[in-house]
Amino acid sequence: MANAKVGARPERGSEPDRPLVAVGQDQLMALIDHTSAVIYMRDRDGRYLLANRQYERLFNVRREEIVGLTDHDLFPAAIADEFRSNDLAAFARGVPVQMEEIAPGDDGLHTYITVKFPLMDAAGSPYAVCGISTDITDRKRAEDEVRRLYAELEMRVRERTAELEASTRELDAFAYSVSHDLRAPLRSLEGFSQILGEDYADLLDQQGREYLGRIQANAARMAQIIDDLLHLSRTTRAELRREPTDVSALVEMIVGELRDADPGRAVKIDIEAGLVADGDPHLIRLVLQNLVGNAWKFTAGRDGAIIQVTGVRQDGVDVFSICDNGAGFDMRYAHKLFDPFQRLHSASEFEGSGIGLAIVHRIVARHGGRIRAEGSPGSGATFRFSLTPAPPDWEIR
Amino acid sequence: MNDGIILLVEDNPDDVLFTLRAFAKNDIGNEIVVATDGEQALEYLLPTGGGPPIYPALILLDVNLPKVNGLEVLRRLKDDPRTRSLPAVVLTTSNEERDIMESYRLGANSYVRKPVIFGEFLQAAKLLGLYWLLVNEPVPVPWSG
Repeated sequence: MANAKVGARPERGSEPDRPLVAVGQDQLMALIDHTSAVIYMRDRDGRYLLANRQYERLFNVRREEIVGLTDHDLFPAAIADEFRSNDLAAFARGVPVQMEEIAPGDDGLHTYITVKFPLMDAAGSPYAVCGISTDITDRKRAEDEVRRLYAELEMRVRERTAELEASTRELDAFAYSVSHDLRAPLRSLEGFSQILGEDYADLLDQQGREYLGRIQANAARMAQIIDDLLHLSRTTRAELRREPTDVSALVEMIVGELRDADPGRAVKIDIEAGLVADGDPHLIRLVLQNLVGNAWKFTAGRDGAIIQVTGVRQDGVDVFSICDNGAGFDMRYAHKLFDPFQRLHSASEFEGSGIGLAIVHRIVARHGGRIRAEGSPGSGATFRFSLTPAPPDWEIR
Repeated sequence: MNDGIILLVEDNPDDVLFTLRAFAKNDIGNEIVVATDGEQALEYLLPTGGGPPIYPALILLDVNLPKVNGLEVLRRLKDDPRTRSLPAVVLTTSNEERDIMESYRLGANSYVRKPVIFGEFLQAAKLLGLYWLLVNEPVPVPWSG
């Protein structure tokens, strides 16, 4: 090996190579025998010149036995062919080449990252190839596992997406049929009660007319419930488009509508200027309509009614607050507030379908935000909400 | 006031009754022709049997109809030069966005959701009659002789 030179290494001058001179062949053998890499040397015809201990351990052979043999004597043909072609590549290139190789192990095939380089004789022509192979099976398996998990995850996401799309389509079909088919019979019910009252008024006494009135009132109420349900389903179905939305202006507008519809009410409205939310303008309008509308409704019959709309920033999240001094609610029922059809007041006290806050809750959830309600009977309610996605343990304080 | 025919395309007999009553209550005395499905409506407007077509002053069109649905009727009317300029008002029970969008895309002249409360329906019918028969200037009826 004294005159062997590694292909890519430039020739050194006459400078004595001190460390190497001091190292004998036994020491070099000890070195290559104590590495976890597999090291071997084969001649131009593929016959073994040398193999290290790791090679012996791995393939259960003694190196004396394989000297002079080729890979085709030791491995299945396909694997031996691969080794040979990689050897020839190193010979042909004349420089170290790197590749992945597969070799059989006790527990199945192992993957190696191999560097092969030709050894040159004094005339500069390659007479042998040296290989150093490092077992990367574990890394390979880990990579495969990651790939498998990733593929599985992707598949699951696709499945869930398909399910979600299917249920959205179903919801869409349901809402469509509610919109078309449920309102028609209701219109007949209401219409004919009206006609009965008009055309047969003289056949009905006071009580009869009152009963007709009740039918009509209930038909109107049911029409409102159907519309609210459609609103609720639309908040789920509609695409969410975020943009900076002027909350202060929206509240002004909503209060204006409430005043127009109910000019007799004296309510002091206090809106913080310049409140902006990042969210879907249509959906934010629905949220504010419901929350401000509730504040308006539940302050009825109260002297000095006040509704305050403010905003604060908490941990970088904008939190909007709608606060009133109206009827309030019992905190024991706070968890039921946002369920559809849950009402904490009787219909004779305050009318409503009990869907408004469910709509609010769903819109806030679709934005990735939070909502919190606080109140006590007789002294008002405060609803605070955010529309910014926050960590799971984050809460409005 | 335009004294032309009103073509009401409506399959629900209750709604037919309500509409007739609403126009009568609002003193709109125009002749009202009722088609109870989309096919019948098309036969009135674009007859295939060789009979003369009618040129209504106003078409009130429901969406959910047997045989040929309202939106298809609308598409055929607005595709045909003979009927394209007839005012077609979609009068239906739904306010689903896709019905509204599709109606306007196909060339509806107006979209009205039938209110549940009869009093409100009365008001809507009055406004419709007022606008389309009194305020609106229609394309002159082509005299076929």
